Amino acid sequence: MRPEETVEVPISLSLAPYSGPWTKNEAAHLLRRTLFGPTFQQINSASEQGMDLSVDTLLTIPSFTEPLAFLPEETVTPYGDSWVNNVYPTDSVLAQHHENARRDSLGAWLVQRINQQGFSIHEKMCLFWHNHFSNQASPDSRATYDYFRLIQTHALGNFKQFVKDMTVNPCMLYFLNGYQNNKFSPNENFSRELLELFTIGKGPQIGEGDYTNYTEHDVLQGAKIFTGWTINGYFSDTLTSVTAQFKSELHDTSDKQLSSKFGNALVVNSNETEYETFIDIIFNQEATAKFICRKIYRWFVNYDLTPTIENVIIDGLAAELRTNNYEILPVISKLLKSEHFYDISMLGTIIKNPLEEIFSIFNSTSSFPDFDINTDYRMYLTCGGIAAALGMNGLVPPNVGGWAAYYQAPNYSKLWVNSSYIKLRFDFASYVTIYGGIDIDGYKYVVNFLGFVNNLSIPSDAPQLIEDIVTIFCPKGLSLEKKIVLKAILTNGLPDFEWTLQYNEYLADPPNPAKSDPLKLRIGLTLNQLFKYPEFQTF
Amino acid sequence: MKRRLFVKNLTLSSFAVPFVFKDLKFEAVSKKLFDFSRSAEDRVLVLIRLNGGNDGLNTLIPLDQYDNLVLQRQNIIIPEQAILPISDTNGFHPTMTGMAGMFASNNLAIIQNVGYPEQNRSHFRSMDIWTNGSVEQTTNTGWLGRYFDSKHPDFPNSYPNEDNPDPFAISMGYEVSATCQGLIGNFSHTVHDPFQTNSVGTGSAPNDGTYYGSHMEFLSTIIAQTNAYGSQVNSAANNGSTLSQLYDETNPLAVHLRFVAQMISGGLKTKIYIVNINGFDTHGSQVDSPENTIAGDHANLLKRLSDAITAFQDDLNLLNLNHRVAGMTFSEFGRQIASNSSDGTDHGDAAPLFLFGSCLSQTILGSNPSISDTIVDQAGIPMQIDFRDVYASVIRDWFEVDEANVQALFEHDVTFYPILRACNLGISDFSKINFKAIVYPNPCVSHVTLKFLSKNEWVKAEIYDMQGRKIKTLVDSKLEPNQHQINFDTKELTIGNYQIYIQKSSGNETLKLLKLTQN
Repeated sequence: MRPEETVEVPISLSLAPYSGPWTKNEAAHLLRRTLFGPTFQQINSASEQGMDLSVDTLLTIPSFTEPLAFLPEETVTPYGDSWVNNVYPTDSVLAQHHENARRDSLGAWLVQRINQQGFSIHEKMCLFWHNHFSNQASPDSRATYDYFRLIQTHALGNFKQFVKDMTVNPCMLYFLNGYQNNKFSPNENFSRELLELFTIGKGPQIGEGDYTNYTEHDVLQGAKIFTGWTINGYFSDTLTSVTAQFKSELHDTSDKQLSSKFGNALVVNSNETEYETFIDIIFNQEATAKFICRKIYRWFVNYDLTPTIENVIIDGLAAELRTNNYEILPVISKLLKSEHFYDISMLGTIIKNPLEEIFSIFNSTSSFPDFDINTDYRMYLTCGGIAAALGMNGLVPPNVGGWAAYYQAPNYSKLWVNSSYIKLRFDFASYVTIYGGIDIDGYKYVVNFLGFVNNLSIPSDAPQLIEDIVTIFCPKGLSLEKKIVLKAILTNGLPDFEWTLQYNEYLADPPNPAKSDPLKLRIGLTLNQLFKYPEFQTF
Repeated sequence: MKRRLFVKNLTLSSFAVPFVFKDLKFEAVSKKLFDFSRSAEDRVLVLIRLNGGNDGLNTLIPLDQYDNLVLQRQNIIIPEQAILPISDTNGFHPTMTGMAGMFASNNLAIIQNVGYPEQNRSHFRSMDIWTNGSVEQTTNTGWLGRYFDSKHPDFPNSYPNEDNPDPFAISMGYEVSATCQGLIGNFSHTVHDPFQTNSVGTGSAPNDGTYYGSHMEFLSTIIAQTNAYGSQVNSAANNGSTLSQLYDETNPLAVHLRFVAQMISGGLKTKIYIVNINGFDTHGSQVDSPENTIAGDHANLLKRLSDAITAFQDDLNLLNLNHRVAGMTFSEFGRQIASNSSDGTDHGDAAPLFLFGSCLSQTILGSNPSISDTIVDQAGIPMQIDFRDVYASVIRDWFEVDEANVQALFEHDVTFYPILRACNLGISDFSKINFKAIVYPNPCVSHVTLKFLSKNEWVKAEIYDMQGRKIKTLVDSKLEPNQHQINFDTKELTIGNYQIYIQKSSGNETLKLLKLTQN
């Protein structure tokens, strides 16, 4: 284990609105934390808009499209159409082929959404919630889709309502055995995880079966409260969606007496609305607000919850959350506009997770595959495969606790890097910059070199080009020595004006590969080097 | 619709790992991929890239054109008496004393007017052409990358491995070399300082005492530990040594070449080293002033180049590595014949290229360029020898690859020049029973060397023209069993093809010889 570090104390521990300088650097910090890789244009526009408007814009939810059929195995749905409300074939083998095709489609679609994030925090929030309500896929991709859709809908909404809806989500009922929980054979799985991981959180064990915030007795009572819910429509050849169904004959109608942790509250039978009563009780506890605020803080700011961070930042955010009756948006807004968020000691405190690594490369360079649906989806599946090889299967957190990098002390985000992963990260960077890209039947998903530099401030000016790249990718800048190295790679060791001449020649004749190919090579080599610097691995 | 295997295997519970990231464990590489002979297997080629476009006319000065050169480049011309003559018609820039000495001692060869058809005067495009070894816009691979690809088609998957623990190529500095770009991977590994493989090039960053700083320290350590090539390079550097006293620590090229010698002597199996010297883009201030043309930027560059190569060759001789190492310079283009008014020269066309090593005779392949007595705007030196043929010849002779396999690496019909052919008369090769006689340089200009084996027997060697007329008898006597070497003058030969007949009882041999230019 690595020892805890002794590190510089933040200068500002305040949630008061940040009023310091607002330059590209602060804007870039905000966008690196809230997007999967901002473009230079996005950074510019945020720096011009100012902090308040930038944060407000980030907190809007973009439109969405549904995953599309793209594989020949899917015959119920025409190629290019959404399958999320379509039945399965009656033949069980064919049905399984459809399910495989739909999983592929869903997986590609999730990655595509990250690549097409727009100017919104939405995808970052969705991954946050997926990590929070950690869930492995159900056997029916329509239900899995509904789970992700629920996350998308509530990503910036009401946390309490979110938990209620998640409790009776078919995918969740499946994953944590809720559908098997009935009065004849109670199953505690969901009740336990709800308390331990989804809402109030497990505190230190201070007595037998006593976890500070709740007890084993509460777990048992919760299980009784949740009895009676089943799933309808799995793999159906007639029903177009999977739904949760309450069966009163399976529900435990006895009175449920909670422990003193919840004021000895009594939950009396109310059948299919009973779970809401229990969740309301849990949300009356301050600990519930603090628990989710700690997770939000670790996701957007830093892993280290020192006593002062607890007392000032976490308490402050939790108060905001409760004041707003568990609406998430005001809390995120307060945090992203706070002095503490922009404190210099909070820059670059997180090592990128694999999806952040991959899409900080693709998104910041405006690199999108734009072939046909089948090709694009397969490229996104490959990106998902690379993320999995780098330790993050984007669809399937390792367990109900989510990815270890978000909870495991003392390493936290350092867990994303080890000697195998770092080599793969570097290999990936080389593949998409200098090795020709991700290849699908001869089509290449590669960094959009020219589109990237054309949108920098003065692309014909080599030193400025390097400065812009550093602004985008390096949270605390880059040493002069490394900038010189990057510029020497960009200019091929020539005087700066030769780069200017070459760039202007290209501008005069953009379709001519004899003018553009040398630029692509130089930019590719430069980015390839940058992507292997430690500075790039953080955000 | 064809689906890749990895797509077929995809399930939501586990994204498939794409092909390129699979099986990072060692995979035995079949030995048959190596068709090197023993001596070629140990050979090292050092490429020195003169970055920016070297002014060939002030590097290797055609003495027979001097009067017209004065007209063309009055403000930068080197005074005739300062030029270092290396032959009757050629001289070096006065700072190139080291390379002049190497030429005299058979360690340097020159190929004049090297370039390619339809010169592109963009640095970037032209450097791509030179590094790709391809004039047409058909490939993004490098000429050496294609060669390595033919032997290691799976690279970089499963490399390094047990059979190939060392980098195939090392690019000194921070940038992989485009010459080594293969279809998938780049075969070159960057080394800034072999003793500091955890240097800025591989990523170290200081810990500034913040959370960020602790990440930087952590990442730097992981990166260093992961760099398997880096540790091989590092241990070779520590095992190796250098002996020459001629290296100048203030000359970056010399420092890099000393590192190369250190790594080779330390046992690194790397076959290609690429070193760079920047600054040849001498649009202005190429010379100190029109009154003092022997000093200035270009003089400094040539001195650094000449001194560094000289020290390196001296080191190789002292380390007894000289038979294993050869070098070659290249630059993206030469410069224009006429100078500009800023005491400099602008982007031009063909230029001379240098080869160095212990098996090079005093060869100057290619004729002196013809300089006009009138200034033609933007005129450069026309290409006489295609740089791709130089590459092909180097691969054939230095790495002993079949001509058909060499041809496969290039887009054009290769013409081979036996510029390094004599190197194959090394210790191990010469003992081959089937060793055939060779003549070099071929094509020839002013002189050639004939090498052949004999037993204790009478040998007669004669040269004939294509009409069957005997031109000259080269030898006609009883010889000891040995390798024999005959140098003879070809100045009197007219341009055209010739045949050399060697008659001996152990087996007659016939060789073709081409006289390329008239002296």
